[in-house]
Amino acid sequence: MTKRIRSKITRGSGELAILSLLAEQPFYGFEIAKQIGERTNGALQFTLASLYPLLYEMEKRGWVEGHWQANDAGRDRRYYRLTTAGRRQLAPLREEWRAFFHALDSLAGVSHA
Amino acid sequence: MPDWKQVVSQRMAQLNLPVDSEEEVVAELAAHLAETYDEARARGLVHDAAVALTLQEVRDWRVLANDISRAKLEDDLMTKRARTLWLPAMANLLAAMLLLMFMQRLGVQPRLLWVNAIEGKFALVFYIPWLIALPFFGAAGAYLSRLAQGGTFARLTAGLSPALVLIALICLIFPWGLLIDGLSLFRLVLFVGGLLTWGVLPACALLIGALPFLRQNTPSKGSGGENQHA
Repeated sequence: MTKRIRSKITRGSGELAILSLLAEQPFYGFEIAKQIGERTNGALQFTLASLYPLLYEMEKRGWVEGHWQANDAGRDRRYYRLTTAGRRQLAPLREEWRAFFHALDSLAGVSHA
Repeated sequence: MPDWKQVVSQRMAQLNLPVDSEEEVVAELAAHLAETYDEARARGLVHDAAVALTLQEVRDWRVLANDISRAKLEDDLMTKRARTLWLPAMANLLAAMLLLMFMQRLGVQPRLLWVNAIEGKFALVFYIPWLIALPFFGAAGAYLSRLAQGGTFARLTAGLSPALVLIALICLIFPWGLLIDGLSLFRLVLFVGGLLTWGVLPACALLIGALPFLRQNTPSKGSGGENQHA
């Protein structure tokens, strides 16, 4: 049960992180993992194994959309951009997490930010 | 630099996706590994150390393959099955049964064909107007399934669903009759008669309507998606 809750929290935070990042601009997978790692000072870290199942799941739900694009060196990268449905999903997700941190703060004095 | 595509495809034998999708996933994961390797090299790691570090991105390839297959497919399959098979089949079944009930309410009399069996007489019941209407339901079921991109099996099943359900019901009821009264030739003839009038005959009528919709669509030209790998 504990593992399941932890998995849901990890998954939920991952979705929020990815959606928030893609709300700025499209990124490709490696860059998404790197950006999230850097911006959270390593607190949130994605490996290939944790990132892509989540990205594909979000793509299936229609929150993000992938398209191939070659860079200057001719290397193909699959860029993800936020769809309208994904953008709509972002606000309630943020609110959910805000409420979650607020509840945790009231209970355990864990202040977010 | 290792051939990352080969590395990924060798380790992802468990990946259970359509060929196009599988190639795309392999290409994307390989590109990710290549970037990870390049970055490790740029940080000054020697080849072997960079490869080792890169491969740490995935602890268990089998788990990853299953996770990706599930993420890409599972709901899709369920949704697709519901869209192409269950929804058209249920709609067809409901409409055909409602029509039959409606006819009975209106007092439409069935044609009775009396059959002399060894141990007695029984009637085969034919609702002729209902049977005449069934090809339209067969056509509608198969058409709805085709509209949802259903395959031949889904279209056929959706088209024949009222008859299939009736056949299943008759086959379920028959053993109960045997349990109560025991096997007799009369009961067997009754079962076959019921199967013919309420199963086979409606199935034939439905099939007539469904047939034109069973052929696969010709694939449209130039239907490449934007996700195609350059």
